[in-house]
Amino acid sequence: MNSVNSAILDASTGWAILAGFSLLWVALGWYWGRHAGQLDEYMLAGRRVGLALGTATAMATWVTSNTTMAAPQLAFQIGIWGMLGYSLGSLGLLMFAPLARRIRSLMPNGYTSGDFVRIRYGKTAWRVFLAISLFYSLGWLVSMGMAGGILIHALTGIPYHYGMTVILAICVGYTLLGGFRAVIGTDFIQALLILVGLVVIAVLAIGKVGFESIHTAVLAERPELLDLLMPAAIMFLFNNLLFGIGEVFHSNVWWSRAFSLREGVGFKAYTLAGLLWAPIPIVAGFVALAVPALNINIPAADMVGPMVAADLLGVTGAVLVLVMVFAALSSSLDSLLAATSILIVEDIYRRHLKPQASAEDMRRAAARVILGLGVLTWILCAPRLTTLAELLYFTGAFVASTIWPIAAGLFWQRTNPTAAVAAMVLGSGAGLYSYFAIGFYVAALVGAAVSMLCVLLGTWLAPREFDWAQLHEEHPLHLGARS
Amino acid sequence: MTISVTVFSALVLGALAITAVAPLLLLVLLIRDWKRKQLW
Repeated sequence: MNSVNSAILDASTGWAILAGFSLLWVALGWYWGRHAGQLDEYMLAGRRVGLALGTATAMATWVTSNTTMAAPQLAFQIGIWGMLGYSLGSLGLLMFAPLARRIRSLMPNGYTSGDFVRIRYGKTAWRVFLAISLFYSLGWLVSMGMAGGILIHALTGIPYHYGMTVILAICVGYTLLGGFRAVIGTDFIQALLILVGLVVIAVLAIGKVGFESIHTAVLAERPELLDLLMPAAIMFLFNNLLFGIGEVFHSNVWWSRAFSLREGVGFKAYTLAGLLWAPIPIVAGFVALAVPALNINIPAADMVGPMVAADLLGVTGAVLVLVMVFAALSSSLDSLLAATSILIVEDIYRRHLKPQASAEDMRRAAARVILGLGVLTWILCAPRLTTLAELLYFTGAFVASTIWPIAAGLFWQRTNPTAAVAAMVLGSGAGLYSYFAIGFYVAALVGAAVSMLCVLLGTWLAPREFDWAQLHEEHPLHLGARS
Repeated sequence: MTISVTVFSALVLGALAITAVAPLLLLVLLIRDWKRKQLW
């Protein structure tokens, strides 16, 4: 990789932008975190988040490094279906909308997605679920840490390790200071930056190159990218759909938002976030299809987005991309740090290690876990072992296997707990096998299919009654919902 | 079967229009929540 030679911004400009935004996020984190002394305030923003902030945080969190970096990469590799397939990730948010409403009504005192699985299916399912969820969270954290380093290197020439370290340190810093309130507040500003930046880049790209030139050049050099019947790409479309649903359904990132939203807001916030998110991968992916028309040399597929934007728009474009993707990375990293720390503190620290932990113990543990996650992510990002898309889709098999246990557990009274365990274990195993035997684009598809069979068959053969009232479990530290 | 330039441009322009409206909508909702004291 030799993107230093093609960097548009000089390193000092890059450092100035990073420093400016870093100061802003940390200052806001401190400001919003001043009154978050109580555990419930620190971890769930007091459970009173309104529609605007709820929608923006769901949308900004779902616009990740994977949207801004991997969507152009996938458009560059598999064309029009790469854009559309990525856009179907919005169905994860849209389909979670009724779940968010159901979660809030079934678990007014709920804290994590682990709480639900533990009460609904028992301890074996809970531990399997925690293993999947924590593995996925770490994969997502690493993919974003890597994306930060790659982007900053591509645009400014700042070495990969420096850029990756800065973005991780800043997100850990302001999440530590302000907790969930800082995450949600900065997410709103970051959502605006992402949307405005993307619109400006796309409008300038259309003005400078034009649809006709892009279409003609792609057709001449790589016609398969515009082929509507590309079999691997169509499979990717369905795979991505299931991957997105699996990611959202199981992850505590989305469950903690469902718990934190004001009564009656969850359904609207997730629906609106899904509708506003859907066009973003199409716009971001479109930029990558300008490569043949511009005749750019792309040194690595996962750098195609920033390389094209910088080539098209010069220094201004490079600044815009840096700000936009810095916002996209921060909005996801902070959410993941906060939500994963809640999961670890509640489900592992308190439920497994220290059942008598006080609210103060948990608050301290949350801060240490956020810091520890930052360090662990840095260690795993350092060798840069794989590309963004490869890393992302490796986790697809695992998360897709949770779709049916979660959805059936929330809506069907007779879902069999053993079938739920089998669905997660066998679904993950089959998905993983297909990842290596066939390709990354089928892992989630196979994982979800096997998981579905297990849940349907197990529940049909041995239905088990469940009392929904059990989910109203009071938290020992009285962290329940307020009216 | 290749996507035509008309469909391709309509797809991108449609997506771009929604992306352009989104920040305005979020700001309107923010002001509404703030007036109702339901920000967070």
